[in-house]
Amino acid sequence: MSASIEISHLSRLFKPRRSLGQLLTRSRPRARETWALRDVSLEVPEGAIFGLLGPNGAGKTTLLKILSCLILPTGGTVRVGGHDLQRNDGAIQRTLGFVSSDERSFYWRLTGRQNLRFFGSLYQLHGRALSERIAYLLDRLELVEQADKPFGDYSSGMKQRLAMARALLHDPPILLLDEPTRSLDPISAKHLRRFIAEELNGREKKTLFLATHNLQEAEQLCHRVAVLSKGRVLGEGSVEDLPPWGKGQEAYVLVVSGLDQIPNSLKNGITWTSLTGGRLRAAGEFGRDGERLSLLLADVLRLGGRVVSCSKVEPTLQEVFDRIEEEAP
Amino acid sequence: MTRLRTMVAFFRKDLLEEMSYRTAFVMQVGGILLTVSLWYLIAGFLKPPEGALPEFPGVPYFAYLLVGIAFSHYLWSALSSFATKLRGEQLTGTLEAMLMTPTPIPLIILSSALWDFFMTSVRVVLYLVLGACFGLQLRFDSLVAFFIILLLTILAFSGIGILSAAFILYLKRGDPINFLISSASALFGGVFIPAQTLPHHLGELGRLLPITYALSGIRKSLLSGTRLQDLLPEIFALMVFVVLLVPLGMAGFTLAVRKARQEGSLAQY
Repeated sequence: MSASIEISHLSRLFKPRRSLGQLLTRSRPRARETWALRDVSLEVPEGAIFGLLGPNGAGKTTLLKILSCLILPTGGTVRVGGHDLQRNDGAIQRTLGFVSSDERSFYWRLTGRQNLRFFGSLYQLHGRALSERIAYLLDRLELVEQADKPFGDYSSGMKQRLAMARALLHDPPILLLDEPTRSLDPISAKHLRRFIAEELNGREKKTLFLATHNLQEAEQLCHRVAVLSKGRVLGEGSVEDLPPWGKGQEAYVLVVSGLDQIPNSLKNGITWTSLTGGRLRAAGEFGRDGERLSLLLADVLRLGGRVVSCSKVEPTLQEVFDRIEEEAP
Repeated sequence: MTRLRTMVAFFRKDLLEEMSYRTAFVMQVGGILLTVSLWYLIAGFLKPPEGALPEFPGVPYFAYLLVGIAFSHYLWSALSSFATKLRGEQLTGTLEAMLMTPTPIPLIILSSALWDFFMTSVRVVLYLVLGACFGLQLRFDSLVAFFIILLLTILAFSGIGILSAAFILYLKRGDPINFLISSASALFGGVFIPAQTLPHHLGELGRLLPITYALSGIRKSLLSGTRLQDLLPEIFALMVFVVLLVPLGMAGFTLAVRKARQEGSLAQY
């Protein structure tokens, strides 16, 4: 299977701009240089859903902006759909569709249909062909009834679906999705994920590059994922491959009563804790001798809680991710 | 053909947006009516001395002033439109969405100013129509020359406007072009008074500005009915400005885009 996106040793350094005064006095700007991306190498196979995971500030958006030709890299090479980013950005932009979660990127006083018509013209689509494409996408994304209402009156879910429709106007083989479900309620998010997986990837065989910090979303959608932190790729593989990154990672769910605070024992080696509705969830390295689990149980008792049940569960991607983050240099 | 269709799409989009602000449009018309009335009263009050308009004998000062103000709107529009549109799209977040498409950036910038130029033309016509109500007399026997000069004027001013947009794109704020050209044009370009009447040969500075030739040519064609062949000096001067300023604006803008992409600040504001 060939690669739709090939990124090799990509780096991006943001330098603070010198003010006129600093230029004249040859002094350095106060802000520091920041490496947004460092030596990033990734291959996204054709027809795959590839997840780019990382917390805010990891470099996900910078990478997406480089792929969509808004930012030039400091070093390295990028090929999208076989086109070199440095030489043929126009061809790349014809190959890509970008789904942003930024609601501001539309004209709020125009209707959904008018917005699509305008952006379609920027992809050299005009006349009847554009009208038919818009009608088709509005139907596919269940926006027909709202198509002639101003964009400003749309709900968050409708705005996101219109962003999807815009990205699909020129029927690109590759889609970049920047946290597409960020502002959606759970039901709308579920519908959109289903559309992404079943329609775009399943039926239309599009390659999808999904940047997200929603690990559940990555688990549900992605064939492969890469974890990005502080501009570096910490690891890459299939979602099933993730446990080796969190080697030794375990999780326990304790059903407790009479406990209203998280025990102090949840420290060294334990990276994830939550206490909701009488369920204490802890994940991390518990060790094979059971010492930390025993400490945890003792702490629960010491704090006046009672353990109703204790069961070992699979750690979630979030828990694994926190561990990876903690270990990142 | 595709480029023309893209330009039409920009025009249509701006028209639809503008139509959603109907009150603003009505207020603009009201503002023009007030301005024309005000200049009529001021021109009547000032009464310049005999021979103060040496190139336009017999032309009332109100007509001289109104045509100067009306057509200088093309300069203000060019100076502000490219940069303001660019900054507006940056602020609303739509610029990034546009820049992700394969449409060339210069085409986006040019197309985004079309609506403003159209509205400026509407404004100019309104000025002239309302001016006629106050006694403005126009000559229509040199319309070909007028339209040639108008086209060259818009092109020359656009070169400056695109250069101004390049500064906005790169510096985000503090565009020096707009300030310098608009101030110099108002002072030395003959908008309000003939440049020759300025003290200490300051009017000579006007020769460096396209507005001087634009207003001279437009006034001569519309107020005096001067023939095309007699307007060749103005037309030639404007052509020189077009040849210099349009490539300069485009080159400056291309450079600004490249620098902004290198810095990663293309859609920042």
